[in-house]
Amino acid sequence: MTPPLLLLLFLIVIPALAAILETLTSEGGGITLAHYAQVLGSRAVRTDIVFTVEVTLASVAAVFLLSYPIALYLRFSRTRLASVLGVVFVVPLFVPVVIASFAMITFLVPHGFVSTLLYLLGVHRFPQLVYNATGIVLAQVWVNVPFAVLILGAGLQAIDDVLIDCARDVGAGPARTFLSIILPLNGVPTMIALTLLFIGIFGSFTIPYLVGGNAPQMLGVTMTNYLTQYLRRTEAVTMAVMAFAIAAVVGALYVGSVSRRERGA
Amino acid sequence: MAATSPPWGWVPGALARAVGVGMFLALTAFLLGPLLTLLLWAFAGTWLFPHPLPEFSLRWWAFVLGNADVGKAIRMSLLSAPTATLLSALVCIPASYAFARLEFPGRRFLLLSFLSANAFPKIGLYVSIATLFYRLNLMDTFLGVVLIQLVNTLLFMIWIPTGTFRGINRNLEEAARDAGAGPLRTFFSITLPIALPGLIVAALFAFIAAFDEAQGTLIVGTPNHVTMPVLMYGLVLSYPQPVGAVFSVLLSFPSLLLLIAAQRYLRAGYLAAGYSL
Repeated sequence: MTPPLLLLLFLIVIPALAAILETLTSEGGGITLAHYAQVLGSRAVRTDIVFTVEVTLASVAAVFLLSYPIALYLRFSRTRLASVLGVVFVVPLFVPVVIASFAMITFLVPHGFVSTLLYLLGVHRFPQLVYNATGIVLAQVWVNVPFAVLILGAGLQAIDDVLIDCARDVGAGPARTFLSIILPLNGVPTMIALTLLFIGIFGSFTIPYLVGGNAPQMLGVTMTNYLTQYLRRTEAVTMAVMAFAIAAVVGALYVGSVSRRERGA
Repeated sequence: MAATSPPWGWVPGALARAVGVGMFLALTAFLLGPLLTLLLWAFAGTWLFPHPLPEFSLRWWAFVLGNADVGKAIRMSLLSAPTATLLSALVCIPASYAFARLEFPGRRFLLLSFLSANAFPKIGLYVSIATLFYRLNLMDTFLGVVLIQLVNTLLFMIWIPTGTFRGINRNLEEAARDAGAGPLRTFFSITLPIALPGLIVAALFAFIAAFDEAQGTLIVGTPNHVTMPVLMYGLVLSYPQPVGAVFSVLLSFPSLLLLIAAQRYLRAGYLAAGYSL
């Protein structure tokens, strides 16, 4: 089974290690943080980093708040509506992100479909829904909901109905049942979903590139511009490594929370 | 599944139903609305605000299909994605057979390591790969494009076949060996035919992942190795809306056809088998 592992080494491990090494090496060959100082010295880059974190957190929260009710509904409802929803919500999974982004633009753009609908309903002032942070968040929600519902739903499926019936028998209301039984029992899938969502959205390029505005912009677009437009490779890689570091912190929080939970159980 | 009534079952029935239907409609509109708008645009001659429907025309199809860049991109996509899928199958399927049949320490860890592409912010990974490719002169080459598409296929090509092979009863293989078949004959006459539907599902997902890959190919393949999704960036940014819409329909076509062709295998649970490790 070595050949695929070699590919993994060549396409992921070596590029990542080479990137880290390159950004920490000075031209003379010593260890230096100068590349980081230079990149972080740019005010535009600092703004982009903050913007990226903010948009990512907002997107993760929005995806999560929409996905959890859908997952609950699909798990506990036996209605026809639920089975139709079970088919509809996976549609974005099969749509390439480039097409999804463009579809979102045609849908939300001023004088696009949503504006037309609002106009016909008598609303003549349209909110700006694309080419800004709102557009990025809406597109991220569209693209990521199926994935989040699938992970959360798999966790909910594993919760025994008996536990929920018991909670109800001793007089717990819906909110109480959710907060004291369902949410804690589904803790690990929830953490997995949140972590993967954060890393996925944080490292996205297509959605912010097409649906976002000019500035501030998400880090994925900034580093690609540095690499392909400004031809400043080292700075691009430095931003890539900073993105790895931020993702690693989130990953470490996840591992920490899961192991704490397992020790507690 | 036992018929547990939902945990929100205390809410008065009619109200709950009305809220439920309302939310269902809003959600469906949000999920399907953008795609329907896009589809309408693909057949629009002009669509002036605030008309609810466009004036229909096929003239943008002629424009898109007559464009030389489009032809080149279609060719590049239809060359690179199958190459990446095939390469991925050749590299991964023997390995996944080993993962399925051999028990060794670290097996689970190695299987999980194929998730590592998802543990990185993707665009950062592509930028890092690009800097390596600069040194190896793989930028703007066909091989570079195939390799970057390969990144997203590995997970499907390892996990789904491993699950499939694991689901095949070992006794069948042993019976063939007892009847005098060699290991190769056993694999090709017994194991492979039984595993084929699972391998087809794996290849399907790998192909879609390779075919739809855009951001990495944009970095590694420009300017001379532009695939269909990469061309889409330019079409979206610098052409009238119907052009991007027509091209989106073209771009969805191969994946859609394959999904329809393979749907009986998809329903058979081979995908789920892959995720049971």
